[in-house]
Amino acid sequence: MNVTLAVKQYVSKMIENSGPGMKVLLMDKETTSIVSVVYTQSEILQKEVYLFERIDSQNRDSMKHLKAICFLRPTKENVEHLIQELRRPKYSVYFIYFSNVISKSEIKALAEADEQEVVAEVQEFYGDFIAVNPHLFSLNLQGVARGRSWEPSMLSRCTQGLTSVLLALKKCPMIRYQLSSDMSKRLAESVKQIITKEYELFDFRKTEVPPLLLILDRSDDALTPLLNQWTYQAMVHEQLGLNNNRIDLSRVPGISKDLREVVLSAENDEFYANNMYLNFGEIGTNIKNLMEDFQKKRPKGQQKLESISDMKAFVDNYPQFKKMSGTVSKHVTVVGELSRLVSERQLMEVSEVEQELACQNDHSNAQQMVRRLLQNPRLAELDAVRLVMLYALRYERHSSSVLPSLMEELSRRGVSERHRRMVQAVVEYGGKRVRGSDLITPTDAVAITKQFFKGLKGVENVYTQHQPLLHDTLDQLIKGRLKDSQFPYLGASSLRDRPQDILVFLIGGATYEEALTVYNLNRSTPGVRIVLGGSCVHNTKSFLEEVMSATGHSGSDRAQGGSRHGSRR
Amino acid sequence: MASSYPPPFEGAGEVKEGFLCPLCLKDLQSFYQLQDHYEEEHSGDDRHVRGQLKNLVQKAKKAKDKLLKREGEDRPDTGSYESFYYGGVDPYMWEPQELGATKSHLEFFKKHRAARIDHYVIEVNKLIIRLEKLTSFDRTSSDAAKIRAIEKSVVSWVNDSDVPFCPDCGNKFNIRNRRHHCRLCGSIMCRKCMEFVPLPLAQKLINGTREALCVPGSPSQSQSPPSGGSSSGMGSRRGSISSLSSVTSMLEEKDDEKIRCCHHCMDTLLKRQQKLEEKDHVPDIVKLYERLRMCMEKVDEKAPEYIRMAESLNAGETTYNLDTAGGLRLEVQKYYELIDALSKRILTLGVKDDPQPHPKALQLQRMIRYTATLFVQEKLLGLMSLPTKEKYEELKEKRKQDQEKRIQQERLAAQEALKKRQASEKNRPPASTNGELPHAIRAPHMTKAGGWLPSADSVHTRSELEDPLLQQIENIQSFLRQAREAQKTDEVAMLEENLRQLQDEYDQQQTSLAIALSQKMADEESLQQGELHRLEVREREEREQWGSTVGSTQLSFKWEPCLDISPGGGEEDTTAEDLTPKAEKSPSSGRAFPALTSQEDSPPRLRSLGGHVTPPSGEGQNSTSLNPFDEEDATPTEESSNPFFEDIKREHEEVTNGKKEYNPFDEDEEEKLADTAAGNPFEDDDTDTGNPFLEASGSSPPVSTNPFDGDDDDEVLPDLDMIEEELLLQQIDNIRAYIFDAKLSGRLDEVELLSQNLRELQQTLQEQKKKKH
Repeated sequence: MNVTLAVKQYVSKMIENSGPGMKVLLMDKETTSIVSVVYTQSEILQKEVYLFERIDSQNRDSMKHLKAICFLRPTKENVEHLIQELRRPKYSVYFIYFSNVISKSEIKALAEADEQEVVAEVQEFYGDFIAVNPHLFSLNLQGVARGRSWEPSMLSRCTQGLTSVLLALKKCPMIRYQLSSDMSKRLAESVKQIITKEYELFDFRKTEVPPLLLILDRSDDALTPLLNQWTYQAMVHEQLGLNNNRIDLSRVPGISKDLREVVLSAENDEFYANNMYLNFGEIGTNIKNLMEDFQKKRPKGQQKLESISDMKAFVDNYPQFKKMSGTVSKHVTVVGELSRLVSERQLMEVSEVEQELACQNDHSNAQQMVRRLLQNPRLAELDAVRLVMLYALRYERHSSSVLPSLMEELSRRGVSERHRRMVQAVVEYGGKRVRGSDLITPTDAVAITKQFFKGLKGVENVYTQHQPLLHDTLDQLIKGRLKDSQFPYLGASSLRDRPQDILVFLIGGATYEEALTVYNLNRSTPGVRIVLGGSCVHNTKSFLEEVMSATGHSGSDRAQGGSRHGSRR
Repeated sequence: MASSYPPPFEGAGEVKEGFLCPLCLKDLQSFYQLQDHYEEEHSGDDRHVRGQLKNLVQKAKKAKDKLLKREGEDRPDTGSYESFYYGGVDPYMWEPQELGATKSHLEFFKKHRAARIDHYVIEVNKLIIRLEKLTSFDRTSSDAAKIRAIEKSVVSWVNDSDVPFCPDCGNKFNIRNRRHHCRLCGSIMCRKCMEFVPLPLAQKLINGTREALCVPGSPSQSQSPPSGGSSSGMGSRRGSISSLSSVTSMLEEKDDEKIRCCHHCMDTLLKRQQKLEEKDHVPDIVKLYERLRMCMEKVDEKAPEYIRMAESLNAGETTYNLDTAGGLRLEVQKYYELIDALSKRILTLGVKDDPQPHPKALQLQRMIRYTATLFVQEKLLGLMSLPTKEKYEELKEKRKQDQEKRIQQERLAAQEALKKRQASEKNRPPASTNGELPHAIRAPHMTKAGGWLPSADSVHTRSELEDPLLQQIENIQSFLRQAREAQKTDEVAMLEENLRQLQDEYDQQQTSLAIALSQKMADEESLQQGELHRLEVREREEREQWGSTVGSTQLSFKWEPCLDISPGGGEEDTTAEDLTPKAEKSPSSGRAFPALTSQEDSPPRLRSLGGHVTPPSGEGQNSTSLNPFDEEDATPTEESSNPFFEDIKREHEEVTNGKKEYNPFDEDEEEKLADTAAGNPFEDDDTDTGNPFLEASGSSPPVSTNPFDGDDDDEVLPDLDMIEEELLLQQIDNIRAYIFDAKLSGRLDEVELLSQNLRELQQTLQEQKKKKH
């Protein structure tokens, strides 16, 4: 069930298949992301792969002493490029792997182009998704919806992505979907169709309890992606943007050249692996320890190496020190930038109100807090808008809603027209009308008691009290209490036992907060393994773009939004 | 085993050995403690076998992680992400999975390609054959019409009237835009779309194809004829161009040096030519790269061996020879140098050429170089240094003490366990002895561990021998015979040593038995003892009936993993051979172990203290249980004798090694034995040479024949504050590498610091040299 490992195994198998010798990896834009998320350059270099090329790149020289490993999505363009490549081969041998199902006719076209007999392998290796964490995958798709239905090309890409995950993990699941969302149903049917069509591929060893695929819609929980985050990974994504596990730090004032873009990968960075799910406060302490550790190892400039043992210690420690210095400077920079943003944008206060809005049910208090913050001149535009959005979602139908006056307040602050329109768009996207489950107001007695007990226990951390809706959904699913009426099975059969292997897919994008929830559920529930996937992994900004494109509000602004997404997401 | 690996090294996470619990891998110091631990901790565990397996997998992963971060010594354990949490599993710890689904299209692909290829090959061959015909006659001396006639005979030309437009560019043919025929396929095109095959190229293609068909070898032959032929042909045609072609009108040019063809045919021919050229051509980078990879493989192979040696030596063990390790170190370092040099050459390949290589080619070279540096960095750092001679002696001494302490602890623990057992035994109803039934079954493992089966005759005679020690002696003698027959000399030596120890043991045991007997008398009432004796006898009878049939029991399940973990538990004699140096010890310890396992079941004191030293299953099985005291008593003697044994062996080696590669180090050996003050193992040789790496290969037999030269040198410089020169040189090299690296990544402050270090080091080196001379 480890998606990272699944892709890694595919890639290393490809390389292994090609035998010894110098190699080049030929990829397209998407497979480049897929591979680069799970492997670092030095790891792949060790496997004798020295060059990474794009199949569509013109600037490639003929190098007949190299073997080419082609890892490509089976798109029309790629096949065409490959045909051209085979007609005039630049490398000695070609090992071709498609990341998804490819048609016979295309294979035939390729075979006919291979007049020089350079192709040694043609296979399908189903690594057609971005494995962000072992339990989290993304398809990096933005704008999957048009109104309340699918953008057609996105539906097929999502289907491909989901089926490739199933194939890579060797799971042939039962499918449940969210009844309130038509998109969920469509995707479920589309996946089912592929499973039926490629039944030979999906013929895996039967397990006692069949795996379960649960398809959900983002619009059911529009709240979670609007909150500021405080755990390391989620916070980095929210404040700085995490794209294929890379952060673009070029906007950080006074950044040194080699830190413009840094990679945060739990696979190779022990500090990150240990801290990605810890909150900001804990990271502060840990980074201090890291620094101290580092200081200890650092060769002292003035200190003379007098004895042989001094010298030995120095030489022995030097490489470690060097390796560490990379990690230390990276994390110190990132955490430094985060804390700069926190204080500059007064995120502590903002987040407190956000959490209050999301978790408590006290209208008068909430509206007062929002109003007070909106008076604050240091509040960033995005944060102001997001507070109003949260209020709008939370107290959408409240009898004494103050939304109009809050909107006035926004325009008084000089918040742009575009941002103000977003408030309306978010309500349209994730308001009560569209929601299938009860996102916010816990009105029944049980829920109130729960709330009460929560209160009794005392909130450990004001900033992280919010639990995404996904937590409840999965909790009920694991306990076998998820209602069939809300989340029906596709097809006649249903699961009698409690599910063990669960794959959740969020149409419209998951968040790192949900990834953390799933991580914790995995750790706390014996016998259950959950993998979370989304059409992408959102932070507030990218989520708002998604909302705008879905609700059709974007219009002329869309191009601008798109470019921002590209640079910052 | 317990005797060969002291506790400090079990922490290193390399190989866990000793009295490990098979379930939690906890190291219990003695056998009894382990047994108690097992009974206390895991008696209820058997129900969760699946859970345990999972556990083990996770343990293995943990161990691996530990291995990876072995360097990070005093860090507080931050490995929280791999830990358990309320019974759920961290996604990072999910059990390993198999490769995802795959689907191969290769068969389908090949089927379609084959059809295409056949077509293509035929096409090419047709063109080549025609080309041969077109070039086979003397073009220069024939007149245009004749040439044309011959050309027409090769391939039928397409009728002019059929083609009103040029099929390639679409221009209309007329008086100015004349039709031209491809001489290879007969098709028509206009002048602009026409191409020419130069005769040398044609010759080359024909020759290449002919060779490919006839003689696959001898590239030198294949090279010369075409070049010679074409050049002479060129010379003879020079004149004809000026004379003939100028005369034969502008309208009808004469192709005496080239053959007209359409670009389709030209394409096919060019592809063919390219293929021919590539076939025998191996670029420099490939040659260099192959050597580079070979060196890397060698390092991969040698480095772990060295690390094992160095670890063992640093622990003060005597399994390996310090000088062999030193030699290996130099060898590995030599490979590193080679890797560095080769990758540097790859980096600079073609850089000075006039048309610079393609940027991608340069990038490739850079990447190879980068990988090589990474490799060197990573592996070189794993090379721990060896202890100096003095240090080694110290370590050995310390280890001996540790061992003794441990043995005493063990003995204490054993006695306690004994007491406890006696107490519980008293309360136990006699029927409980049934549970002890299977204890003899583990005996065959011993033979597995040792690698030799006790010979058949010893099985028969053993029944008469009351004392297990005597049995053991008997067994070893039979092993010895087998080993001799198999000509495994190292094992023979080892077994002989063992035998000697056992015989000593036996004598010792006789006395200890007497003492034990009297103690026992005081301790226990004779009545109970008699009862126990009776029990024992009954048990033995029972076992005669049952013993052979009871194959696997709970207890044997418990112990088998232990055996597997211990090095002595290695499978057959083949492994013993592979491990050679290690195996010197392991078989003996392995043998002791099964003996211990059998003690576990039948209360040992019954036999030893009470004097009823009966083999637990004297008949029926080839049980060879040792005297329970064997292990405890044996270890000290073994230990004390071992160093000498080693030394003797080493001296022996020296004699035999006289003229081998290790010469310089044999000299060290001498020095070590004779001169206790000697310091660094490499010192004596290096006094006048700068590069330590040259030493290993460069030293010649004459140097070693006079071992006392080195000693004299050493006596001149026993300045204790002096930093050892060899080490200095090593450090200088290392620091140079770091400087290079730091420069590469642009950390100037580090470069400065490092180069300052380097200067200091060089200064020290100079001073030292001065003092020496």
